[in-house]
Parts: sequence; C-alpha cells; structure tokens
Amino acid sequence: MNLTQQLINGIVLGHAFALVAIGWTLLLGVARLVNFGHGQMYMLGAFVTWWAVVKAGVPYVLAVPIAMAIGALFGLVMQRVMLKATFEQNLVSIMIMTLGFGYVLHGGAALVFGSTGQILDTALSRNDITIGDLWFTWQDAAIVIAAIVVFVGLKWVLDGTRVGRLVRMVAEDPKLAMLAGVNVRRVYYGVFAFEGAAVAFAAGMVAPRTPILTSMGFEEVIMTFVVVVLGGIGSVTGSYVAGVALGLFTALFGALVSPAYTTAAAFLVLIAVLVLRPRGLSAGPAAGAH
Amino acid sequence: MSASVNVVLRVRDLRVAYAGNQAVDLKSLDVGQGEVVGVVGANGAGKSTLVNALAGWSRGAPRVTGEVALGGQRVDGRPTHERIRSGLLLVPEGRLVFGRMNVEDNLSTAFSPLAAPGRKVYTRDEIYELFPRLKERRHHLGSQLSGGERQMLGIGRALMMGPRVLLLDEPSIGLAPKLVQQVLDTMRTLARSGLSILLVEQNVRAALEVVDRLLLLERGRVVLEGPAAQVGNDPRIAQAYLGVATA
Amino acid sequence: MTSQRMQHIALPLVGLGVFVAPAAFGGTGSVYSAAVLIAIFAVMAYGLDVIVSDLGEVSLAHTVFFAVGSYTTAWLSTKAGAGAWVTLGASIAVVLIFAAFIGLVTLRLREFVFSLVTYAVAVVAMSVASNWAFLGGSDGIRGIPMLDLSIAGLPLTARNDGELWPYAFALLAITIYVVDRFRHSRLGAAAIMTHLNPRLATMSGIDPARVRLQVFLVSAPISAAAGWLYAYQRAYVSADVLENYFLILMLTAVVLMGRRQLLGPLAATALVLMQEKFFSLGGYVDKIVLGSVLVLVLAFFPQGLMGLMRPLRRIAQRRAPSQTVITTVENPK
Repeated sequence: MNLTQQLINGIVLGHAFALVAIGWTLLLGVARLVNFGHGQMYMLGAFVTWWAVVKAGVPYVLAVPIAMAIGALFGLVMQRVMLKATFEQNLVSIMIMTLGFGYVLHGGAALVFGSTGQILDTALSRNDITIGDLWFTWQDAAIVIAAIVVFVGLKWVLDGTRVGRLVRMVAEDPKLAMLAGVNVRRVYYGVFAFEGAAVAFAAGMVAPRTPILTSMGFEEVIMTFVVVVLGGIGSVTGSYVAGVALGLFTALFGALVSPAYTTAAAFLVLIAVLVLRPRGLSAGPAAGAH
Repeated sequence: MSASVNVVLRVRDLRVAYAGNQAVDLKSLDVGQGEVVGVVGANGAGKSTLVNALAGWSRGAPRVTGEVALGGQRVDGRPTHERIRSGLLLVPEGRLVFGRMNVEDNLSTAFSPLAAPGRKVYTRDEIYELFPRLKERRHHLGSQLSGGERQMLGIGRALMMGPRVLLLDEPSIGLAPKLVQQVLDTMRTLARSGLSILLVEQNVRAALEVVDRLLLLERGRVVLEGPAAQVGNDPRIAQAYLGVATA
Repeated sequence: MTSQRMQHIALPLVGLGVFVAPAAFGGTGSVYSAAVLIAIFAVMAYGLDVIVSDLGEVSLAHTVFFAVGSYTTAWLSTKAGAGAWVTLGASIAVVLIFAAFIGLVTLRLREFVFSLVTYAVAVVAMSVASNWAFLGGSDGIRGIPMLDLSIAGLPLTARNDGELWPYAFALLAITIYVVDRFRHSRLGAAAIMTHLNPRLATMSGIDPARVRLQVFLVSAPISAAAGWLYAYQRAYVSADVLENYFLILMLTAVVLMGRRQLLGPLAATALVLMQEKFFSLGGYVDKIVLGSVLVLVLAFFPQGLMGLMRPLRRIAQRRAPSQTVITTVENPK
C-alpha cells in the first residue's frame, strides 16, 4: 500500500465528508434541528445532477446549480410543514418527520429514476492527474477546492456580515433575537434552504466518484453525524477539521483493515469519543454557530 | 387623564389564559406620550405575564385575546418581531444579553428602524453617553457583565431600536440601591424626552419615585389605579404584598 | 359503569373478535398470512411505542432489536438445531446485551444524540449483516425449521400461516398485556414524569438517565420477540429485516392513532398492512404514501386519528364542547 496515495485519498474523502456535513453544521448549530432526511436529500441532489447531465444534456456547470435549487426548495417545503414543531422545539416530532420525508424521497426517486445504479461522469472525473506514483482526478481536486471555498465563505459570512450576525443571534437565543426585532421564522427557513442547497451541492461534486443508487444516503448521514459531533456542534472550523480527520482515518482503515466496515469503524470512534468526552472534541460550549 | 394627551399604547380586554387558568384579565390600560405608568403587585400577580403578552412574547403557549394598539394601529395579531420593529419594545426580566458577543456587538444587534416622528432612535454613542459604564466595558463579553451592566445593556439596545413605548420588566431586580437610582433617573430623563414607559416593578417605593400613574395587579386583575401621589399611600398596596385580607 | 370496568369487559371481547377475524374474513391462506404479519409487526411496534409514547424519546434501534431476534433464531435453529423455546430465550438474552450496550453508552447524552446513535447502530448493523459471512452475508440464513413449541408431549407446531396464527395472536395478546402492566407500574410512571417534566422528575428523586436505560431494556425484548416469530414465519432471514421500511412502519404505527393508546399500534399496523396487501399502488408509491402519512399526521394531527374523533364524539353526545386542555403529551408546557 502506498501511504502517500492513501493520504491523498484520505484528504479528498475528508473534504467530501466536510462538504456533505456543512448543511447539518448550520442546521444543528443554529436551529437545533436534526434532519434525518439528509441522506435522501443527498441522493436526490446526486440524481438530479445525473439526470440533468446524462439524460437532459445540460452542462455539468449548470446541472449542479439546478440540483441546488431543487434541494433548497425541498428544504423550504420541509420547514414549512414542520414549522409548528420547530417553534415548539418539539424535537421528537421533527426527527420523525424528517425520517418520513426521507422515506418519501426514497420512494419518489426510485419511481422517477429507477432502482439501478447509475454513474455520473463529468469532464473532471474522467481526467486524471498523475504526479509520479500518485494519482487522483480533477474531480477530486475540485472537491477539495470547493470544500475549502465553502467553509471559508460560510465562516466569513457568519462572523463578518449582518446576516451572519442575525444567524448567530438566533443560534444563541432565538427568543432574545425576537426581542431584537429578528424574524426568527425567516432565519429558520433560510437555514433549512441552505441545508438543502448545500447537501445538493456536495452531492453534485462528490457523486461522480462512485456509482449512485436511489437506496443510498444512510452512510452519508452517519458520516455527517460523526463529523458534526466530533467537530463540536455548530462549529464551522470544527466540522472542517473533523471531516478531514475522518477522511484520513477512513482511507487508512479501508486500506489497512477492511473497506466494507469503514462506516462501522467510524461509528465506533464516535462512540469512544462520546463515552469519554460527551461534548465532542471541541472544548467550547456545544450550542450556537461559530 | 385629560383627553388631549396623546395615547400611544391602548389596551382593551387583554386576557391571557394557561390551560384554562386565567393569568391576566385586564379591562383597559392607556399609556400617554411621555407618561410613565407603573404596574406593581406581589409575586405571581401576573405583571410579567402582562408585559410579555403585550410584546407577543409569552412563555409557553397561552391563549391571548384582546386589543393592543400602538399609536392608533392594532398590533395584537402580529408576531413579536413586528411589534418590536413598530416601536413596542420590551426589556424582559433576566434575558438581556447575548452572552457570547461583546457589548459593542450586543448593541449592534439592535434593529435599526427608519426615523419617524415620535421615535427617537438612539445611536451607540448616545447610549455610551447615557451609560458610561457600558463604554468602559465595551469589549467585554455579555456573559462577563454584572447584573446592573446587563440591565443597562438591555435598556440601551432597546433605545437603539427607536421605542415609542418601552416595557420594562423589573429593571431593579438584584441591583444595588445606587444602580437602582441610576436606572430610575434614566427613566425620568427618557420620559421627559417624550418616551412612554410601562414599568413593572416589585419595588413599589422605587416605582413611586418615577411613575405618573400606578396600577396594582392582583391575580391578573387591576384592583387599584390612579395618580401616583394619590395611590402611593393606599394601604391596599401593602396588603397586597403582605397577603393581609382587605377590609 | 366506570371506564375501568368497561375496559375489563370490552378488552377480552375485542380480543375474541380479533382472534376469529381471519376465519371470518374467509380463512384463506393470504388472509391468515396478512393477520400473522399484522400481529408480528404490531408487536414490533409496541416495543417502540413504549419508548416514544411513554418516555418521549425516539429510538431508531428497534429495527436492530427486531433483527437480533430474527438472526439469533435463524442461526441457532439452523446451525445448532435449537428448539423454539431456546431460540426465544436466546433472542431475549442477546437483545438485552445489545440494548444494555447502547443504553449505557448513551446514558448521559442528550436526547437527539441518543436518537442519532440509535440510527447509526441500525445503519452499521445493516452493513455488518450484509457483509459478515457468519450471518450469511447478503444471502442470509435459510432453511429455518417450522415453529415447534411442543412441551411434555403436547404438540404445538405450525406448518403454515393458518396454524401460526394462534401463536402470533398469543404473542400479541401477551405483548399488549405487558405494555399495559408497564404503563401501570412505577417505571411507567417514572417514564411519563421524565417525559413531561424532567426537572420535576429529578427533584422527585428520579434519575432520567437510568429511567431511559430501564425503559430501553424493557422495550428491546418486545421487538426481539417479534423478530423471533418472524424468522419462523418467513423461514429465512437476511439483511433486509434491517431495512428502513420496518422503522417507518413502526413509527407510523406509534403515531397514527394517537399516543399511548393501548390498541393504537395494533390498529395502525392493521391499516397500513391492509393498504399494502389489498390496495397497493405499487411498491414505490406505497413508500411515498407511508412516508407522507407519517409526516402529515405529525405535522397536522399530532393527536393522531383518535384526536380527530374527539370533537366528533362530543357532537354525537350532544354535550357542550368542553374547554380545550392545552396541555397534551405533545405540548406539555
């Protein structure tokens, strides 16, 4: 096994994990909402991109924004239906409803796109970069660059803009934010739309790496969960670091031990962390977006 | 109250009920321009419930009915943030600051309304002038502030949102007497500049120093009402606090 | 007549009715098959019902408990020739180990982290069951013998769904009895208190974390027992018992009728399965329907279908509408 090659795989995989998890970072950190439909929304993003490129002949550069728009729309619909539960902070109902939404997406996608695996090839994924013994594709490079751009961008928006301050206010104390004139409902809508668009974007970028199935999405939820909890709930920097670390771990575990049980291994790492340090690895307070 | 005074806050038949339990039953309340109206009563009399309901900010999910009008326009159907933006500001008891932001940022979280007649929108510098202590501590986090400083911050932020009516819920709680005095003085100054204030207080003596009119609340109902000079010495007030049965 | 006495009379009558229902509906193979499956899945759902309705938390691991029951039964009966009583006992024992592990790991965690961990357990279990040769990999374990609970010379076997029905019914009846007893027990009361007001519960000397663990340990064997019987009914077990379908079915069964209704999960399971068997719109559309029902019930009818019936019942009894009680299991504040 070529260690450097595995490290490169790990870095690419890690950036993919971080990118898939970014919607959840905001959703959990700001609105304390858990979206169990995350995996199916990822699947939807992947399939819309695939359909646009392969079946409708739309250029990849346009297909991804289309998937993002549909993802954002779905996020808005979900939040609209769950609005009452969100305001009542009825987490049980929300969790079950997002599971239900995910299931509907699964059935709908299977109906529209079929149940066979598909491959999304893009100009980027077909072209390799070889440096000596090492190998990766332009798609891989794009994933890393995209992840970095998105994370830096989100951090900048949260810390430096007025919109970001509104989001941080709602994250810390929604009731107090109301008294400061913030339309908290609109912020929740925005955060859910971001989750929808972000996960669709991640899908559009990462899906070309492997065949996609309408039954997929569950492992993505686990990895996202691990990333967000390990990084400290609501921490943008934390999610990035945790994502890359998890990617490296997964790549090395897959190469050294077994590729089939990487999700199980990641999960066990999470369990270990939760048992030893219930607040995740980040030392700061667990709530809020930062 | 003479008819020529401009009524800024008009409340009629406000009822707040939790699971069949009537927490507030207010027939009428008017606050005029530049008037300071005090609401006093023992613990659990419904004072906080009243002002929270006026702002649309009730805890839990009670049934709230009645009319609330700000400057002649009905606001009782509107969500909290809209009432805030229209100039009905609440400085609640306790929840005053964003702990993770510093004083400057906390003040910046204030929504900036458009200037309008009857609405003075304070700038951050004006708040620092009003509360020099906040200026000294302006880079400290909200969680590092003392009780009095948080109170000043809460009031300061409210002022930056251009209030037409300021609802204050127990601003003197937990404050040293000197600070209480400072808060009261500030209120008097604000009222003189035209701001209408509805002051909820447990500390009757402090309230009497600054209010024009006083309401005594008992189990959600107004049992006594009148100008401060008249009502201040009414034995019913002491009885309400000591739980002694009225004659 | 007090409602307690009415229950004592009505319940056995309902039970009798349910027992003879398949025969009354024609007694064909497919009717008995539907009835057996309804009973099995209802029992599976009752395990979840205890956690969701009483404790007020979401466990997504009950599909794993169901699978543990099925796999333990399948493995022991085919590889070790164990009889039905042994497999039942072993299923419960193994599931208790799983539940204890999950429960202890999540002991001090917040509710939504608990739910996420249970979800992760289910996903990991699916990948393990599909890949591990010990459990048959993607083929699963086949050739499970017929159910044989014979004791002391008394033959108690079931060769087909028709003969399996009395055993399924018995399991269902016992489960409902256990759930009822739980709800009237101290643990049940503690669970409700923890659900509605954790702070008050703590001040009354109840440890919410321990209550969660104990309720978890009570609920797991119920779903495992359903898995045990399912193995005999299907005669083979594979990783598809861990599919999301069972989870969504369980959740719908718990919320459709309304929380904490004793016969709620049974009625709901019957409705869902009958739609699938007799009014199916195709596999994928059924998925969409089931998922949508789950979402719509929670979003717009949080009190379930029984909640809709209350105002209707009031009109039927021509009484003035009573004052709406705002405090519900949904909205305890």
